[in-house]
Amino acid sequence: MSTSRNDILQGTLTLLVLKTLASNKRMHGYAITTHVQRASADLLRVEEGSLYPALHRMEQQGWLKSEWGLTEKNREARFYSLTAHGRKQLALEEESWARFTEGVGRVLRYV
Amino acid sequence: MSWFHRLLNTFRPGRVQRDIDREISFHLAERADQLRSEGVDPEEARRRARLRFGNPVVQRERIRDVDVARVVDATMRNARYAIRTLARTPGFTVTVVLTLALGIGANTAVFSAIDTVLLRPLPFPDGDRLVELTEVHEGSAETRIAPVRLQDWNRLNVTFDGIAGHYVDDVVDTSGELPERFRRAFVTRGFFDVLRVQPAMGRGFVESEHSVKGPIAMIISNRRWRSLGADPQIVGRAVKIPYGSLITVGVMSGDFQFPARDVDLWSADDADATWAQSRTLTWLTGIGRLQPGVTLAQAEADLNRVQNSLAAQYPATDRNIRVRVTPLKDTVVGSTRSSLWLLFGSVSVLLLIACTNIAALLLSRATRREQEISIRYSLGGSRTTVICQLLTEAAVLAVTGAATGLVVALAATRALRSLAPELPRVSEIGIDGRILFYTMATTVAVALLCGLVPALRGAPGVRPLRSSAPSSLQKRHSIQWLLVGVQVALSVTLLAGAGLLLRSVEALSRVDLGFDASHVLTLHVSGSYGWETTDMAVQRINRLIDAVGTLPGVESVAITSTLPGVRDQQQLEFNLAEGRSEAAPRMHAETRVVSPAYFQTLRIPLLAGELCRRPEDAGGNTGVVTEALVNRRFVDLYLLDRDAIGLHLSGALDGLAKNGHLSGNVPPSRIVGIVGDARETGADRAPAPTVYTCFSAPDPAPWHLMRTSGDPLAMAETIRRKIHDVEPQRSVYDAAPLEGRMSGAYAQNRLRTWLLTLFALTALALVCAGVYGTLSYAVSLRRREVALRLALGALRRSVVHQLMTMSIRIVGTASAVGLLLALLFTQSLSTMLYGVTPTDPATLTGVMFLVVAVAFIAAFIPAASATFVQPMRALREE
Repeated sequence: MSTSRNDILQGTLTLLVLKTLASNKRMHGYAITTHVQRASADLLRVEEGSLYPALHRMEQQGWLKSEWGLTEKNREARFYSLTAHGRKQLALEEESWARFTEGVGRVLRYV
Repeated sequence: MSWFHRLLNTFRPGRVQRDIDREISFHLAERADQLRSEGVDPEEARRRARLRFGNPVVQRERIRDVDVARVVDATMRNARYAIRTLARTPGFTVTVVLTLALGIGANTAVFSAIDTVLLRPLPFPDGDRLVELTEVHEGSAETRIAPVRLQDWNRLNVTFDGIAGHYVDDVVDTSGELPERFRRAFVTRGFFDVLRVQPAMGRGFVESEHSVKGPIAMIISNRRWRSLGADPQIVGRAVKIPYGSLITVGVMSGDFQFPARDVDLWSADDADATWAQSRTLTWLTGIGRLQPGVTLAQAEADLNRVQNSLAAQYPATDRNIRVRVTPLKDTVVGSTRSSLWLLFGSVSVLLLIACTNIAALLLSRATRREQEISIRYSLGGSRTTVICQLLTEAAVLAVTGAATGLVVALAATRALRSLAPELPRVSEIGIDGRILFYTMATTVAVALLCGLVPALRGAPGVRPLRSSAPSSLQKRHSIQWLLVGVQVALSVTLLAGAGLLLRSVEALSRVDLGFDASHVLTLHVSGSYGWETTDMAVQRINRLIDAVGTLPGVESVAITSTLPGVRDQQQLEFNLAEGRSEAAPRMHAETRVVSPAYFQTLRIPLLAGELCRRPEDAGGNTGVVTEALVNRRFVDLYLLDRDAIGLHLSGALDGLAKNGHLSGNVPPSRIVGIVGDARETGADRAPAPTVYTCFSAPDPAPWHLMRTSGDPLAMAETIRRKIHDVEPQRSVYDAAPLEGRMSGAYAQNRLRTWLLTLFALTALALVCAGVYGTLSYAVSLRRREVALRLALGALRRSVVHQLMTMSIRIVGTASAVGLLLALLFTQSLSTMLYGVTPTDPATLTGVMFLVVAVAFIAAFIPAASATFVQPMRALREE
């Protein structure tokens, strides 16, 4: 059960990260995982092995930018935030996600 | 992060690593905190956090992969690994690098030389339109041109932009403390215009300088100018010479070296001098510039037409003369052309051998690693990674080899320049970029191709993994054996060529030159025209000869107008007072004015008649020559139909009259004897017909030759002092042993042979390495079998024998093939050989024997050492 959930999750990780950062200005990697878990009411869990490579990749593609900072507990962490490019990418991803789910839904409803 | 940042990160691995670690450890710390807040104890919390995150090493790698430019990073890693692997097998690495270096370096140097000397056009504007002109007389060897005839050609032709002539001789400068001898080139009107060259400083010659009545002007060479102190005000200064003073009107630029490399100055010939009006005195070499669009054939036809009309006008002197037109480049490059093409062929063969050697070595190594690579594939290694790694390894070898090759090329070029200074245009030789690129590309391509073989061979699905070597070893490694065979065959060919050339050189050195140049000292004693009359000069020189002859250690002393071993610049035409038939060929011969002791000093044998006597001894007046000797070639060419002795020749002293040395009517000289031929310009050319006239003072400072019983240079000081005793106010200069002056003619042969031998030996060394490498690998694969057989009681001898059958078979066949190739190749050498035929059996069998022996030894060593392995150890190894 968890495998199938995570497979889908890998494909949509980008979308989730972008959306997370859209609503919260600056977050570090750990905060992103907890947010996703909470926002999905524990239905989704981020595959931790894929998170950071994905974050770094998105940063290279210009959708995120990062900087080092201190948390409330005074720990050093890397904070990510969305760029203008990232916002545009988020819109695109949301649109393609909508199309995808609509398509899958129709196939499922087909009798 | 853009690609730029990623590239940058490749070179900051430490910082990237630190950042990743910090990020990961933060994440783990947060997760552990969260678990602890749920009530898990700290140790357990940390463990679970780590488990959840995943294998830290793998994660780090994944993140890192995103952060760095993967290709560059991977290449650098591969390169470092490759260097480590190669360093573990130093023998193999060094051999491959050296082979590459030698192939690239030697090829680049020789090809560059060939390109410079042979292929590049002459350094004159439109140099391809320059030609050399020669007169060819029916039945005679003469080829220079009479000045008036040259002028007629210039006037009457329709196909040339201009025709001029030049003539090189020596002049003595007496203005300094010690007299100095220079090479001077006489040039006719329009010489510099034909070449389209102007002096770098000053000007060319004007009309008035081309006249006896006008000032004597000279243009000096750049080298001479610098040796005089590079004075920028030198134009206008004068230099004293025996009959006046020369005024400098210009300085040539450094790269103008026409008509010879050692010309120190150019002076204007006197077109209106009395001796220059003769149609029979020939001394100029002609050059001309063709009009645009005119072919060689057209120009030659045109000049022959002109000459025919001249023959009608002057039937006595101009009949039966043809004109020959050859491209100037051919004469400048001349006989070195064949040498250089030979070198080209040899070096190409060497390149081929080098490439096959590299291929064989790399393939051997490849098969050794097949197992390792198969394992990597089966463990999930991607094909790309493996290929990349092997490619990097081959590239490291190639780059190192190429860099070393460049160094070798530079050194070889420098060596070539110093070894062969007499090669034409040798100062222009450098390294040509295109050639370097070509040779590097070839060898590097070979290296990379062969380096990739293991990746392709060991690919998944191609071959199942096996732990022991298959016994069908011969078939699988047929490519390597083929390569070894190719190397052996090519080496046989190369060595055959070298062997034949070496034997030619040896045969040449044994040829009887017709005179003995050893133990002869040559020198000049200063003297000049205008200081004394001819009679006084004769007496003075005779006195000197007699005085020096009394020294112990001096066997004989003689005088000559020109050195033996040097072709006389001037060939004269002789007439027979007794008359000859109309159809008889013109009598052209070299003329040498010598004292009677010349023949004894140089050990030229007297074949018939008697030695000539000095006029003063013969009872006539001094200054009147009556006796002469001719050489056998002269008789063979012109006087076969009668007895030469007693005939009277005339025309012999026109040369002396030219210099104003003698005046009045010159009586004919009488032939009193026949001497042996002296081969002046090389042992492989026919001797020139020569007339020796006996006279002590052909010019005020003739060559003095002394035969010494010991080393000529050791006697030089004693002789110099003796001369000073007799003639205190004269100086001795330019003293050197005769042998030293003559070696120039043989240097080219020497260079050619030396280089070819070097290549052949290198080829042999490469073959050795190739055979050894291939066989030692082949044998190592069969260690188990060998060990088994030894353990079962087989004799070492029989095991070795069995191991070597394959190699013996290959080497034998290859040598036979090489022999066939050699027979073909050596045909092209036939023009350069002397004393041996291109198919000389002794040389060829010797070479084959040598190659087979070397290959045999190279095969024997690994086979023999394999049998000394401990059987149990070998069996356990698998």
